Amino acid sequence: MPYFHQSICISPQKSFPETDLSQIRESGNNLLNVVEPDYPGIPAGVKRRMGKSVRMAVGAALPLLQKYPQPDGMIIATANGGMEDCIKFLNQIIEYKEGLLTPASFVQSTSNAAAAQIALVTKNHQYNITHVHRGLAFENALMDTVMSLKEYPDTAYLLGCTDEISAYNYNIDNLAGWFRKEPVLNSDLFTTSAAGTIPGEGSFMVWMNNQREGAIASLDAVRTVHTEDPAMVLNMLKKFMAENFAPGEMPDMLLTGENGDDRLLKYFEAVESAFQDHVSVARFKHLCGEYCTATSFACWLSFQILTDGRIPPLVIKKNSSAKPVRRILIYNNYRGAQHAFILISGA
Amino acid sequence: MGLISAIGDSVEENRDSLQFERSGIDHIQFYKTAYAGRLPTAEVKHSTEALNKKIFGEPNPSITRTSLLALHAAGEAIKDSGLTADQLASTETALVGATTVGGMCLTDEIYHDALAKDHGTPYLTSYDYASVTMAIQERYGMLGEVSTINTACSSSANAILFGARLIRHGYAKRAIVGGAESLAKFTINGFNALNILSSKACAPFDRDRNGLNLGEGAAFLVLEKEEDCRDKNNYAFLSGYGNKNDAYHPSSNSPEGDGPYLSMKEALQNSGLRAEEISYINAHGTGTENNDETESRAMLRLFEKVPPFSSTKSYTGHTLGAAGAVEAVYSILNLVHQEIYPSLLFKNPIIETGLIPVRAYAKQQIKNVMSNSFGFGGNCSTLIFSKT
Amino acid sequence: METAALKQQVKEQIIHFLNLTTVKPEDIKDDEPLFGEGLGLDSIDSIELIVLLSREYGITIQDPKEGRKILTDINTMVDYIEKNRTK
Repeated sequence: MPYFHQSICISPQKSFPETDLSQIRESGNNLLNVVEPDYPGIPAGVKRRMGKSVRMAVGAALPLLQKYPQPDGMIIATANGGMEDCIKFLNQIIEYKEGLLTPASFVQSTSNAAAAQIALVTKNHQYNITHVHRGLAFENALMDTVMSLKEYPDTAYLLGCTDEISAYNYNIDNLAGWFRKEPVLNSDLFTTSAAGTIPGEGSFMVWMNNQREGAIASLDAVRTVHTEDPAMVLNMLKKFMAENFAPGEMPDMLLTGENGDDRLLKYFEAVESAFQDHVSVARFKHLCGEYCTATSFACWLSFQILTDGRIPPLVIKKNSSAKPVRRILIYNNYRGAQHAFILISGA
Repeated sequence: MGLISAIGDSVEENRDSLQFERSGIDHIQFYKTAYAGRLPTAEVKHSTEALNKKIFGEPNPSITRTSLLALHAAGEAIKDSGLTADQLASTETALVGATTVGGMCLTDEIYHDALAKDHGTPYLTSYDYASVTMAIQERYGMLGEVSTINTACSSSANAILFGARLIRHGYAKRAIVGGAESLAKFTINGFNALNILSSKACAPFDRDRNGLNLGEGAAFLVLEKEEDCRDKNNYAFLSGYGNKNDAYHPSSNSPEGDGPYLSMKEALQNSGLRAEEISYINAHGTGTENNDETESRAMLRLFEKVPPFSSTKSYTGHTLGAAGAVEAVYSILNLVHQEIYPSLLFKNPIIETGLIPVRAYAKQQIKNVMSNSFGFGGNCSTLIFSKT
Repeated sequence: METAALKQQVKEQIIHFLNLTTVKPEDIKDDEPLFGEGLGLDSIDSIELIVLLSREYGITIQDPKEGRKILTDINTMVDYIEKNRTK
């Protein structure tokens, strides 16, 4: 059984180095940007080349790796990582008409730059992979870790992800109609009805192995599906429930990736319809914003809830309860096309 | 299996070119870049419009060349596998793609969309890496697990190994795995800025080699458990795999080839084979000073007697994210047809290592083939295929 | 431009071009190796500096190995610029 141990989450909220979920940090200009901490562990010679997403990833990974020095693998997810460096390099191509160009931003723009840099700085030669499948990149990385821990039961892995709001992906996604046209605060995301959401960014790193001792939570199951049909989503959920719960049994909490885009409400309504009133329902994207690997923030939030024993009022949608939370079902979709179910239990 | 590259539009056509030593490296014909006429590349010999029409009939306005190549190769593999539409669409069929360029072959369009204030091009949702895999997922209505991997030049080797593991651990019953890549100003200029493109056709493992040629292509394979395909046309087993990190430098290998050595060693270990049982190696062999020397050193470290090896990149150029899958297909062809392909343009061995690759096509008894893919960021992967 | 002033300018340009945010011009000694020891630059930096020489001083260096010799330290670099600049 895969267990989550210590984790670090760099997010638009107060999550690192201190955690405070009692009040919400507000968005600015319809963006939920990360306020980057100092990264004392990243050598200057390496940091100078890093774009934001690589910096956030390495910055979250290094403190963990100081405590757990040599993982048997580094499994990273990013859909947009390195895009800022991509556009910097494209700018050069256009400006200098494909003439003499500097390669640093090209090298940093590759998706695997984060995983590579973490391995480089820690001289780790083990399994190293980068998943980039848009809204399911993190879920694929979770599956990869589950499989690795089954194949080699005595190993441990650094699992993580990173995505940044870059000029490139922001403008393109905006033109494609994914973001709110009118100014809106993240705290009003669910009380204002409109098409679109607000983008976020962040990184997440966690140490995983098969040891229950000292663990925060276990990863019980993860499944995904590509569909735009809410009925199919409900079908997949029922299958997931049958595989992971006894008949009639329910999780204590449903944590969803509702993001304020009213075009996507039908999926969340379908999923919520499967749960009875004693299941608390909570949301997380008003805290972290919308980005491809945002379910990592949901995982981190789940760890806080399982550790504290209570759901922060800030995230509750309905059925708030004082009962201890032991099993959390996370449901997310990315743009109504990629759906994921993750089941986490307290250790 | 399915394949399209500079040397053929199908597995059969590719094999023909390999056998008759016909390289696909030439001057750029279709892609618009300042380097056309200056840098040889291995282009797929069809315009994007022609590829689009062949697959969609009525041209699809928002699909990129990379996705078209992927659809072409995946289409051939699916036909070859005999999978029914129901099986393809089922939740038990996984799909794992790979690419390093994705839709970024459209430099001018991305530039436009990254800055435009009121309306975008039809490609707004086609730029990311996932869009290539999604083109296949959408076409066949696939409901199983889908992933896309980008670990630079080892991407599709990792896609193959991830797909195999999804089957092994019960996330899928079968998996369609592979990768696709098309020419892009992004990679042409990026590699050129690193001074690793050659202005001549590449000569892997040659003493006077001076760089690689970029290539285009796509390859997909259908993987199933042995018990599920006993009555089918089986080409080979995936008998071993390795994935290790060189952890030395962002864009070059360590002098002794640590990552390559560890990756090959791991593949050998988990295949249960002894080093001397490897009949042939399809080397990464890009033609750069760094790769070929370090890969040679790694082979010398691992093998008491280095088996016959060559680089098919001397035919196809370096197809980056597709390379692992393209060369997996070639490795399987070695097994099916019991033959080996030469490394073209080789004249003199690298002085420091003295290794000589296969220099002519030949029939040969082949039991196990090792295929290497080593990428930027130290991402080293090795696959071993064995005769059924 | 006087040699001393050019050395100062080149140091500032190196810092800016290579994003050496923790280094000040006065930290770079004229005879300190730029690569390996000293400033600790690597092969990607050497390519970047060759581009710098082209963009700022109109100097083309075809062979990256020759470039490394020119880029041994500030003294050799500035000396080469003075003799070969076209801008």
